[in-house]
This record gives sequence, structure tokens and C-alpha cells, in this order.
Amino acid sequence: MSADCSISIESGSPHSWKGNAARFITQRLLNYLIALGAIFSLNFILPRLMPSDPLHAIYGDVALVAMTDEMQAHLIRQLSLDKSWWDQMLAYLLGLLQGDLGFSYYYRDQVSLVILGALPWTLLLVGLALIIATAIGIILGIESGYNRGSSLDRGLVASLMFLSGFPDFFIGVLLLLIFAVSLDVLPLSGATSPYAGYEGLSYILDVLAHLALPLASMVLVQLGSIFLLTRNTVVTLLGEAFVLTARAKGCPEGVIKYAHVGRNSLLPVTTATGMVIPHMITRVLFIEIVFSYPGIGSLLNTAISARDYPLIQGILLVVTLTVLTVNFLVDLLYMKLDPRVRYAY
Amino acid sequence: MHTDPLAEISEDPLARIGLIMLAAIALMALFAPLLSDYSPHDYTGKIFSPPDLDHPLGTDSVGQDIWVRLLYGARTSLIVAGAVAILSSSLSVIIGATAALAGGYYERFCMRLVDAITSLPTIVVMILVAAYLRPSLALLIILISAFSWPVGARIVRSQVLSLKERVHINASRTFGAGKRHIIFTHIVPELSPIISSLMMQDARRAVFMEAGLAFLGVSDPMVISWGKMMHQALAFTYLDVWQWWLVPTGLALSATLIAISFLSISLETAMDPRLAKGNTRLR
Repeated sequence: MSADCSISIESGSPHSWKGNAARFITQRLLNYLIALGAIFSLNFILPRLMPSDPLHAIYGDVALVAMTDEMQAHLIRQLSLDKSWWDQMLAYLLGLLQGDLGFSYYYRDQVSLVILGALPWTLLLVGLALIIATAIGIILGIESGYNRGSSLDRGLVASLMFLSGFPDFFIGVLLLLIFAVSLDVLPLSGATSPYAGYEGLSYILDVLAHLALPLASMVLVQLGSIFLLTRNTVVTLLGEAFVLTARAKGCPEGVIKYAHVGRNSLLPVTTATGMVIPHMITRVLFIEIVFSYPGIGSLLNTAISARDYPLIQGILLVVTLTVLTVNFLVDLLYMKLDPRVRYAY
Repeated sequence: MHTDPLAEISEDPLARIGLIMLAAIALMALFAPLLSDYSPHDYTGKIFSPPDLDHPLGTDSVGQDIWVRLLYGARTSLIVAGAVAILSSSLSVIIGATAALAGGYYERFCMRLVDAITSLPTIVVMILVAAYLRPSLALLIILISAFSWPVGARIVRSQVLSLKERVHINASRTFGAGKRHIIFTHIVPELSPIISSLMMQDARRAVFMEAGLAFLGVSDPMVISWGKMMHQALAFTYLDVWQWWLVPTGLALSATLIAISFLSISLETAMDPRLAKGNTRLR
């Protein structure tokens, strides 16, 4: 899988690999732009399809009661609601380009600022969970696949498959009930102890103690898929000729396991890891709600129960944009790792 | 593919366990009115009462019998699962197969659509649509199906693409068989194991999505849902009530999901001989 074997794989191809790579990337980019466009139109059209007047639909009944007439008039002017659909769309897009996602009535602040306040906690949780789950998943997967049929392998496969059967939030709930409610060793909710006034090291420890349970739930629900994929890839790779060669020339087991089989299994695992990130972003919403962790998930929960439509819309946009960006980065990485992709398009 | 995966899995203990679990849950849902003296919307007047003979799982924060709500919750889950499995897999087959057979711009358009939908964070989109359109069970089924079919369509398309180049189909074509004959006597029967596997995955996703959306607060207020029960119960973890409110509901939901997974895993193993036991060297 080294990069220097890049000649003569598809000698008949009329394109240089740079041209192919560019085509691959533009294709993917086009897909993501279509998806993003669909979300923009959904955000724009849905409130305007409602039977009540658009301002009602955009801000919801509750918010309008609290609004003064001048505020309503101002909003109608700002969103061009008294003009044609075309002007409304322009106003909407211009607003988005300036980072204006609307005004959250519930938090009495700009939606963008409200989301920015919650985003770091979610990123911390997802980022750490991704790293830990991938690392553990790959190592366990290699060990398990290499010793296929051993008691370690069978135990791991059975327990992780069993675990992956549970819905994400129930695993969170179980951990919460065991460690925070029954044993009372870890904090029940939140990201920091309120009014504790911790500083320096004790603040970090406090954050970590609050992070432990949500993080453990995220890792547990994510581990299964990465583990199973690595294991199955390793099992398939063990039948390849290069493993036989490595054995024949007397490579030590550890080298075959990690440098030959392990390294080659990284390719599908990287793609799969990239593909699980969108799932993780939806999973984290549930896990955050279970632990009242103050990220995007809890924000969404509040927005739904308060019927704060601009906030729900803003969260949808931010989550979609994040997911699509991550997908695109994974495509780029995948192309770097696998020279065949550069030739396939 | 000349083995019959559906016949093969009836021997598999994993599939049997899954089927028994699913049958038990379905029976509970079906005979819900016979298994409890209460209606799920009754208020008994006692709140947070611990389990006793009258209320096998006690009562919740507004005094409703938890056991009967658990039974009726199974109905919601299974109805959504069944409806989504049928609707979504039909969409997958129709769009995937027509795309593969028609080709051209139509195929490219369909596959673009599939790529675009699969790259979206579906739960959040569903939340937005459901929040605007007042959630109902029918809307939920349509929404979940609308976001479930693309994965299946991709699988069906690639399967049909490879099927239509097979020797026996070419032979049939040489003998003058029409498109209709080829589709209904050769392609559809060969797709049946894939369709059943798709339906299982769709059903599993539907059960999870229904509960998940209700857990997030998006559900019809009149529909009894396990997800909503868990969401309500989560607010009272400081009381002992979670032992007979939160945990049984979560276990019921997990059991349903695990039962469908077992069936689905067993079917996939039967379809892919590489995963079966003892076939390490098979490539």
C-alpha cells in the first residue's frame, strides 16, 4: 500500500491521477453542496408553508405574544416578509452569509452566539470519544481477528455485539443509574460543579469527573462497529499472500500482526471512522440529554420544549455543516491513503 | 447465489432466540388489553406507588399504571417498525432497481439523491420537520422512511447491476425473454434475501428512531411511546421510581432492538459465506 507503486495500475486510463483526483473531489463536493442546498431550502420553505403568517411560523406563537408591535414590524422588514419570495430568499441568504441565524427568543440572544456557547462542550465530548473508541477498537479488533476463534475473540465479539444492540441513550441511562445514582461516585449532570469556584488543576479534575460518564457511554456505543470492522478486515487479510510471505521469511508474530495486517486494515477502518462521525454527532445529542451535558444536544432539547424555532433551525444548520465538512475531510484523507481511489474516478 | 438464506437461518440458534423474543413482544402488544385492568390513559390517583399486585410496575409521576403503558408502547414500536420496513424497503427496491435497469440520467439523478440524503444528519432534519408539522404517527412513519430508503436503494442497485450481467439472465435474454419476464422470474426472486435483510435493518432503525425522537421530545402527545416514557422518567432519578419506570422501559426497548438485530445478523451470516464458521481461508 505504499505510495511508490503508483505506476501501471491502470495503464489504460486517459487521465493523469491529478485529474482523476480533482474529478473525485469535485464529485464529492457537488454532493455535499446539494445536501447543503436541500437543508437551506428546507429551513427557508418550511416556515413559509405553514398556514399562519410566516412571522408566526418562524418565531412560534409563544414568542409573538412577548413581542411588541415595533419588534414585529422590524422583523418583517428585516426578513422582507412583506415582499416577494425572491426578496425573502435573498434576505435569508444574505443574513446567513453574515452569520446571522436569527434571534433566539428563549435565550434572548443571537442564535449564533447561543450555539457557539454550547459547541465547545460537544466538540470536547465527540473528539475525545472518537479518539478513544477508535484506538481501543482497532487494537481489540486486531488482537481478536488475529486470534480468531479463541476465547478472547469469541468473548469480545459476543459482548460487543450484545452491547451494540442497546439503544445509545439507554447505555447512558444505565451508566448514570449505576455510577451516579446507585454508587454516587460521579456527578449526575452538567459539565462543571456550579458555584464551586474551582481554579487550575481542581477545575480540570472537576471537568474530567463530569466528562467521565458521558464519554464512557459514547465510547461504549461507538466501540462495537469499529471493533467488528477491524476484526473482519483482519480475518480477510490473514488469507492474503503477503501474510504467507511474511510468515515464510520468518517475521516475528508481533510484526506480522501490527506492521503487516494491522497497517493494511487501517484503510477501511479510516473510511468507516469517517462515516461514523455523523452518527456520533447524532448520538451525542442523546447522551448529552441523559447527562444534561451543556452542549448542542441539551440546547436542542431546550429549543424543542420551548418551541424556539430559530434555535432549532440554527442547530440544524450548524450540525449539517459540521457533518458535511467532516465527510469531505474524510474523502480527502481517504484519497491520500489509498492510491486506487485516485484512479477509480 | 444458489443457497437459500431464509431456510438456512431457521436452523441458527441466534435467529431462533431473536424470533422468540420478537414473538413474545408482539404477543404482549397484541393482547395488551387482556394483560392489564387499566387503560393507558387512566389516572389511578396514586403517584409513584411502588410495584404491587394491582400495579405490577407501580405508577408514574401523574399516577398512570406503568405496566399498561409499557404494553401499549410495544404497539407503537411494532407498528412503526412494520410500516417503515414495508414503506422504506419498497422505496429502496423500486428506486434502486429502476435506476439500475434504466441507467442514464435517471440513474445518475437517483444516485445523487441517495448520496445527498445519506450525508445528512437525519435525526436533526426529522426533528425540524416534525416540529413544524405537528408530529403524528403517520408523519413519523413517512419521515423515517423518507430518510431510510437511500441506503437500501444503493444495495439493491448494485445487486441488480451485477445480476443483469449474469450468465443465466443473458441466456434467458437469448431465448427471447422480455424485460418483464426477466425482472419477475429472475431478478426479483434473487433479490428476496436482500430485501428481507433490508426490511430488518429498516425495522430496527425505525424502532430506534421512534423512541429516539420521542426521547428528544418530538412525538404525538396522544401516542404512548417508550422513548417518551424514558424521557419523563429521567427527570425523577433522585427517587427510587427509576427501578420500575426507567429500567423496564429501557429494557423493553433494548429487547426489541436486540431481537431484530439477532435476526438480521443471522441472515447476513447466511448470505455471506465468508463470515460463516470455519471459512477463514475462503476469499
